[in-house]
Amino acid sequence: MFHVKRSYDNIVIGGGHAGLEASLASSRMGANTLLVTMDISAISRMSCNPAIGGLAKGHLVAEIDALGGEMARVIDKTGIQFRMLNRSRGRAVWSPRAQADKIKYSFEMRSRVENQDNLDILEDTVIKIITEKDRVVAILTQNHGEISCLSAIVTAGTFLNGLIHIGLEHKKGGRLDEESAVGITQSLNSVGIISGRLKTGTPPRIHFDSINIEHTTPQYGDAQPVPFSFQTKNFAPKNIPCYITHTNQVTHDILFSGLDRSPLYSGKIRGVGPRYCPSIEDKIVRFRNRSSHQIFLEPEWEGACQYYVNGFSTSLPIDIQRKGLRSIPGLEEAEIIKPGYAIEYDFFSSYQLKRTLETKTISGLYLAGQVNGTSGYEEAAALGLMAGINAVLKIHSEQPFILSRSDAYIGVLIDDLITKSPAEPYRMFTSSAEYRLLLRFDNADQRLSHYGQRYGLVPSEQFLKTRQKTDTIRTTIDFLRATTIGPAEINPTLHRCGENAVGSGLNLFKALCRPNIHLEDLLQFLPSSLSNVIVSIDGLVNLVEIDVKYHGYIKRQSIQIKSQARHENTLLSPDFDYLKINSITKEAREKLNQIKPETIGQASRISGVSPSDITALLILLKKQVVSRET
Amino acid sequence: MTNSDSLTIVAIATPRGYGGIALIRLSGPKALSIAKRLFVSNQNLSPRRAVFGNLIDDSGTIDTGVVTYFKAPSSYTGEDVVEISIHGNPYLCDLVISACKKLGAVSAGPGEFTQRAFLNGKMDLSQAEGVADITYSSSRAAQSASMDLLRGALGTEIKKIKAALINTITVLELELDFQEDEIDFISARDTLGAVSVIISTIDRLLKTYDWGKIIREGMRCPIIGAPNSGKSSLFNAFLQEERVIVSSLPGTTRDYIEETIRVDNYQIRLVDTAGLRNTNNEIESRGMQKTKSLMRDGNILLYVIDLSDPRETMPKLTPSELKKTCFILNKADIAKPAHLQNAIKLIGNRRYFICSALNHTGVREIATALITEIEKLSPENCPIIITRERHKDALFYTNLNLKRSVNSIRRGAAPEIISIDLREALGYLDVILGKTENDDILNNIFNNFCIGK
Ligand SMILES: Cc1cc2nc3c(=O)[nH]c(=O)nc-3n(C[C@H](O)[C@H](O)[C@H](O)COP(=O)(O)OP(=O)(O)OC[C@H]3O[C@@H](n4cnc5c(N)ncnc54)[C@H](O)[C@@H]3O)c2cc1C
Ligand SMILES: Nc1nc2c(ncn2[C@@H]2O[C@H](COP(=O)(O)OP(=O)(O)O)[C@@H](O)[C@H]2O)c(=O)[nH]1
Ligand SMILES: [Mg+2]
Repeated sequence: MFHVKRSYDNIVIGGGHAGLEASLASSRMGANTLLVTMDISAISRMSCNPAIGGLAKGHLVAEIDALGGEMARVIDKTGIQFRMLNRSRGRAVWSPRAQADKIKYSFEMRSRVENQDNLDILEDTVIKIITEKDRVVAILTQNHGEISCLSAIVTAGTFLNGLIHIGLEHKKGGRLDEESAVGITQSLNSVGIISGRLKTGTPPRIHFDSINIEHTTPQYGDAQPVPFSFQTKNFAPKNIPCYITHTNQVTHDILFSGLDRSPLYSGKIRGVGPRYCPSIEDKIVRFRNRSSHQIFLEPEWEGACQYYVNGFSTSLPIDIQRKGLRSIPGLEEAEIIKPGYAIEYDFFSSYQLKRTLETKTISGLYLAGQVNGTSGYEEAAALGLMAGINAVLKIHSEQPFILSRSDAYIGVLIDDLITKSPAEPYRMFTSSAEYRLLLRFDNADQRLSHYGQRYGLVPSEQFLKTRQKTDTIRTTIDFLRATTIGPAEINPTLHRCGENAVGSGLNLFKALCRPNIHLEDLLQFLPSSLSNVIVSIDGLVNLVEIDVKYHGYIKRQSIQIKSQARHENTLLSPDFDYLKINSITKEAREKLNQIKPETIGQASRISGVSPSDITALLILLKKQVVSRET
Repeated sequence: MTNSDSLTIVAIATPRGYGGIALIRLSGPKALSIAKRLFVSNQNLSPRRAVFGNLIDDSGTIDTGVVTYFKAPSSYTGEDVVEISIHGNPYLCDLVISACKKLGAVSAGPGEFTQRAFLNGKMDLSQAEGVADITYSSSRAAQSASMDLLRGALGTEIKKIKAALINTITVLELELDFQEDEIDFISARDTLGAVSVIISTIDRLLKTYDWGKIIREGMRCPIIGAPNSGKSSLFNAFLQEERVIVSSLPGTTRDYIEETIRVDNYQIRLVDTAGLRNTNNEIESRGMQKTKSLMRDGNILLYVIDLSDPRETMPKLTPSELKKTCFILNKADIAKPAHLQNAIKLIGNRRYFICSALNHTGVREIATALITEIEKLSPENCPIIITRERHKDALFYTNLNLKRSVNSIRRGAAPEIISIDLREALGYLDVILGKTENDDILNNIFNNFCIGK
């Protein structure tokens, strides 16, 4: 069916969310790319929740978009309900979420890879990564033999030695009804890359016709939805509701009665699961005093017969799942289409990676997505994109692409992975980012489009649009700062907005700092050439307002970034033998030796490494420099 | 990392001055060989054994003394160390040190022993600071504050503050990372109350800094007053009465002389100043300026008034200077009762002591009164004393940010804004304690709240 060449620049293993972004970026940057995946019809399949975005994750999607990734545009096209979360809080933490039509989503992604130049797709299973002298040279597939490559990106998701648990039964599988993948883990282990086991779970899917909708509360999306992509125009998506209901004490009693047959509580599952995504049995055990938990019934596609029972992730036996569900209002007659289950799979501790996501030990081998110990489509897509870009940059002998913690949530994600090497599946949280006021959803394009443009992933038109936006914001703020309006002219506006009148002139910047004044109120004082541009750009008034109203905090965060930057990028040699340094704690020595941070900045974020350890490192580095000079 | 190329350093490890035993310490690769040439004894130097004998230089025996050798890495600095104890006489100490230097040692820079100990993994930064304090402090009260720091009394207290702050941040951030329908905000959002409690705790700690400084460095008491009022005489009277001279720091300029006396467990740093000219003239002399700055830094000002001088006028002191001034009505031996009446009127019923510096009458009483004054500054109900400027600064900035957050909360700012202040505050606590992991906040969330759909 496919014509497969014997050699590629870059091979991506796994057609999930990470693999898609990796292979698209790679081929678009000019590398001859092959995507190998076990099941072409499962491309970009949503394993779990039929939704994209959410708090902090929505930021990731916007950043992927600004860098030229695909996720935002595809969800804008195929989403069936859009909501801006955290609207009641400050704009910096607003984040969009969409219900997806997971069939259309997958289909749309598939057509994008199939129509992509420079990119071949092969339906097969990779069973071995072949290395020579610490570099990747080829992959071995089940049906198409060896294919050689300059670099390989492993994005195998939950498939590596995947083991599915329902009650006390278990079987091999990468997802329910899909095979697991064997061989990759072993070949990486044999070259010294360490793997571990993680666990995650998913709730049952039930038949829509079996839901008594009248016993639930519908929840719709926003009336004025905001798209994820800065490139989306004329956005008018569907608005299909989810339904809210609640568990009760009876449900909890039923679930309790099944705990003896829970793979989690009987000790069958040893992989570590995410605490932020607990199964329903976890919730009732850990929070016994809560008599009710919220449940969302989410359509898996437009007009779906299949609904996802959000909040009811479980690996209890099917009879308990069914009985438990039926104790919930609206689900009295629920028919399960697919049971909830838990899955254990292999991952590779992320301290083994460089900031480019290349493994430290095997040149040309990149890991991205769930295999890095992350969880979530958005995290996977972001990592896939970064790995794809960096693999090509390396092939082209160009400087790597690294985002810092102050550039993007993606920077935070990768830095956390490498310096913390989390032991549970890592998910992006708003609280993990230090510079939240700067890393907003609404300014992702301004922060990152120039990179997307540099790598040829963002169309010039989009880039110029962003540039115009940035320029207009600057011009507007300069104008506001330079302009003072006399009391007679400004007082009517102040009065109308419920602000105190002024006796002498009021500077427009200061006026906008007042809580009840918005840029719209001040447009009359701007030259029409400027105000016309302002209103012509979507969302620009808000962007200006944030910059003005929060300028004190934004300035403080910028100063913090500068002060951190002093040692942030001071390089540490990978050959540094930390075990020989007596002046730092034993714990720090061991951690540093394991992680071998690339920079002082990274070292400082490793847990167990104290500021005094960093001081000692700096003193040592200084000593070395001095002794080299003399 | 023991560096065999490093220099061997030498310095006195005890405060300079007369009395007791002085300890001279050598550290580095040549410590033992130097000691062997400097020291004659019928016993050999072996690790951790104190040996008695004679210290000699080219011109003969300097003193008898005890020498102990500590082999690397089991020593204070982690290097070869030799400790030499001789009689506490600065002249003899200087002879021993110059003998060591002739044999190849160099003078240790300030804190260099501690720094080497730190670099060789003998202590962490906060311990190093505690040790530095012990080294440089001589009164017992100061020593106990340093020991507390080493044992971590301060650490424990600040950890408590930090835990409270992390809790507050957790509650705020929870609202950022989870939606209302995902989680219930079980804790009442009493951020304001929580922050206020932390602020007052830190304020209390901050107040102990001044006290800490007094016990570490002594209470600074400049003696001021008109020329010839008897300042120098009083200064000398103090020194003779309180015979224990702790140290003698020469003034950086010739404008003043400073001596530290010890009364009970406290150190009092007496400064004999150039004198205040009570004229309307511009402050011309450098001496005057110096005196003014000593007055600013002083804890208590001893203002000497010459009872025998009818020209004495009311001193020009600023209100804050006046507040810490104690008047000494001197030359009581030759004063007429009318003079005394005048002087008391002159100082407007402020606290005073009558003495004769010449005869030493009343001097003891002044010293005792000074101790009472010191103890008045001691903070109540605060077992911990901040002694390091670094700690004081960190706590000061912590509070500054906490106070900012209070303003934000009152203004009704969004949680992510309030959190900026709180996290910055947390960052300053980290200066003392070591960093906070973001995981600390997330763990707190996971452990205390039922989250996740
Ligand atoms: C049961 C379950 C529950 C989950 N629950 C949650 C949750 O609650 N919250 C959350 O955020 N995330 C959850 N996830 C995780 C989410 O699905 C993943 O984070 C995301 O899909 C990871 O993307 P990925 O690209 O890394 O891998 P995947 O989406 O898993 O894609 C992997 C792809 O690689 C292919 N592949 C694997 N091995 C090979 C091979 N050797 N050769 C060729 N192709 C191969 C597979 O066919 C698949 O197409 C869950 C996943 C599962 C399976
Ligand atoms: N009779 C008497 N003379 C004193 C007393 N104190 C100081 N003097 C004398 O006053 C003169 C000035 O003293 P001095 O201490 O040098 O004053 P200073 O200029 O303030 O330092 C000297 O002649 C002292 O002997 C005192 O208590 N009684
Ligand atoms: Mg004098």
